[in-house]
Amino acid sequence: MNDIFAIIYETLFGLYESQFSLIFDTLYENGGYNLLGLTFILIPLIMFAAFYFLWKYPYGKFWHWLLWLIIVFLITGGISWGISNNEIFLSNNQALIDALADPESGYEEYANTLPIKYALFNGLLSIAAGFIYSLIMKQFSKIQIHLPF
Amino acid sequence: MARKLYIFGIGGTGSRVLKALTMLLASGCKLKNDFDTVIPIIIDPDTSNGDLNRTKDILKLYQEIRNQVNEPNDFFSQEIKTVNELANKSSVVNSDYFQFSLNDVDQSTFGQYIGFNTLNDDYKNSKDDKNFTRLLYSEKNLNSNLNVGFKGNPNMGAIVLNQFTDSEDFKRFGQTFSDGDAIFIVNSIFGGTGAAGFPLLLKNLRGNSDIPNSAKIKEAQIGGITYLPYFALNKKDEVNSDSFEDKAKIAIDYYNRTIIKQNKVNSLYFIGNKGNTKHLEYAVGGKEQKNNAHFLEMAGALAIFDFCENIVQTTNETQVKEFGIENDTGTILFGDLNLNNQKEIVKPLTKYKLFAEYLNIGLPKALNTSRWTKSNIWLVKRNENSFLDEQYFKSSEYKIQIDAFNKHFIEWLYEMEDNKPAFSPFNKINWEDALSLIKGNKGKGNKSFKSIDIENCKLITAIDLRSTLDKKHTTLIKIFGKSTEEVLSKKNLLKQEQNG
Repeated sequence: MNDIFAIIYETLFGLYESQFSLIFDTLYENGGYNLLGLTFILIPLIMFAAFYFLWKYPYGKFWHWLLWLIIVFLITGGISWGISNNEIFLSNNQALIDALADPESGYEEYANTLPIKYALFNGLLSIAAGFIYSLIMKQFSKIQIHLPF
Repeated sequence: MARKLYIFGIGGTGSRVLKALTMLLASGCKLKNDFDTVIPIIIDPDTSNGDLNRTKDILKLYQEIRNQVNEPNDFFSQEIKTVNELANKSSVVNSDYFQFSLNDVDQSTFGQYIGFNTLNDDYKNSKDDKNFTRLLYSEKNLNSNLNVGFKGNPNMGAIVLNQFTDSEDFKRFGQTFSDGDAIFIVNSIFGGTGAAGFPLLLKNLRGNSDIPNSAKIKEAQIGGITYLPYFALNKKDEVNSDSFEDKAKIAIDYYNRTIIKQNKVNSLYFIGNKGNTKHLEYAVGGKEQKNNAHFLEMAGALAIFDFCENIVQTTNETQVKEFGIENDTGTILFGDLNLNNQKEIVKPLTKYKLFAEYLNIGLPKALNTSRWTKSNIWLVKRNENSFLDEQYFKSSEYKIQIDAFNKHFIEWLYEMEDNKPAFSPFNKINWEDALSLIKGNKGKGNKSFKSIDIENCKLITAIDLRSTLDKKHTTLIKIFGKSTEEVLSKKNLLKQEQNG
C-alpha cells in the first residue's frame, strides 16, 4: 500500500523533489504515506456511510450532499495537514532533523509548504473517493438513495 | 365462507350512519365472522336530500379507490358493492346504484300518489271516500311533495314505502342473497321515512314470498338499529322537533308489539341522546337537509360491527341492546368510549386521520424532495424509483378520488366535533406537532411528520406495495397503512394516558 500511495503523491501529484529527498524518504519509510492514504480512503468512507445509512433526514437535497462533500474535504485536509506536519517536523530521522535545522539547506522553507499541499491533494482525493462511495452506497440507502442525483 | 351483509339505510339517518360506516371501513375497520362484502342500500324518496347525496358520493369514492388498490389489507380492506354489481356481475361504479328507486315520487304530491282526486265525495253511494281519507291525512299531507320525503310523517311513509318491495331493485336484492348472508336495517324512529320504513321492510323480509330466495331471507339473521331523538331543529314548522319524543314513544310501543315481541329481528339496537343536543338548521328535506355528522351515527356504525361479531350467539329471541359510553361528558374523547369500542376504532381512526392530514399538511414538504416521492433517481434499478411522484399527486385519479374522499373524512370528523355531544378525540395539528394529534396522549420523541416520511422511505420499494397501471392507488394506500401504524406504535401514541 505504501508504494501505491507513494506513487500517487510523488508521481501523480508530482510532489517529489530529489533535492529534498530526505523528507520523502522519511515519509515513505515511517509509513506516513500509509497514514495519508488511509485518511483519504477512510474519512469519506465513514462520513458517507453516515450520510447514507445513519442520517435519517427524509428531505435531503443535492446541496446537503455537496455540503457533506465539502465537510469531508475539510476534515480530510485538516487531518492530512496534521499527519504530514507531524511526519516531517517530528520525525526520528536524525538526518532530516539536521537538515531542517540547517537554514542554508532550504529544507525548512520547503518543508513548510508541504503539509498544505498534502492537505489539498488529499482533500481532492477524498472528494473523488466520496463521489465514488456515493454512487455505490446510494444503491443500498433507504432514505438518501436519490442523492447526489 | 364468504358472507355478505346487506345494510338498509332508511331516510336521512340511514344515509348518515352509512356514511359513518364507510369512514370506519376506509380507516381499516373490518367486519368479523367472514363478512367480506358490505352492500349498502339506501331507501329514501327524497332523492335530492343533501345527506343522501353526500353518502352516495362517499360510497362511490370508496369503491373507486378500493378498485384501484391491489388486495387491500388495511385502509379500504372491506369490500363494498352494490346490488346491481352483484346481480349483473358488473364492476361499473355508479352512486345511483346505492339507492333503491321508488316509483312515482319524483314530481307528485302525496294526494296525487294515492289518487285522492279520483276518490268520491259521496260516501253513501261509493266504495271509496275522500272524507275518510281526510281523517287519516291532513290537507298539508295531501299537498305535500313526495320528492322531499315525508317531512316527519310516518303515516305517509307507510303508504309510499310499501311499494318498494315490488321494485326491480328489490328483486335483484333477493336474487343475490345467499346462505349465511345477513341483513341490517338502520332507521330513525322520530322522523317520517325511517319510522315507517323499518316495520314495512321487516314485514317483507320475513314474510314476502314473492321475493327471490325468500326462504333464505326469511330465515336470515336480521339486525337493526333504531334511532331515538338525538338532535333538535332551530325552527318549528312542518317538522317540529318538539314532537320527536312523543312520536318516538308511540313508535316504540308499536315496534315493541309488532317487532320485538314477535321476534322479527335477531338483534335490535336502540340509540339516542336526550338533553345535550344541538339545534340543527331547519330543513324539511331536499338539498338543504345536510345535517352535520354526529357521534351517534358513528356509534350506530359500531352497532353493525357488534351485530356481525356476535352473530353466532344470536338466538331466535330478539336481543335488545343499547349503546353507552363510559363517561357522561359533553366532549367525548377516545378514553370515554368503552374498551371494546376503543379497540375497534382508536387505531384505525387515528391512522386514517394521520394519513389524511399528512396529505394536506405534510406532503408539500416531501413532494419531489423525499426519496419516496421521487421517480427520477439515477443509477438505481427501475423498481427502486417511486410510483408516488409529482405526476401521481397531480393525476386526476388522486385528486377526484383520494383527495375528495379525504376531504369528506376530515369534514366528517370536524362535524362530529362541532356537534353535541362533541366527539373530539383529536387536536388540531400542524407540521411540527402532527403526532400530538390524540388528545390526552403526549407520545414520545419528535412530533413532526418527519417520522412518516422516514417510514415511507423505508417502505417504498417493498414489492407487495407496488402499484400497477390498473391499480394506481395500491402504493399510496398500502404504504400509509403501514407507515402510520409503525409511527403510532414507535411513538407510543395508541396508549391512553389520561382522559381529557
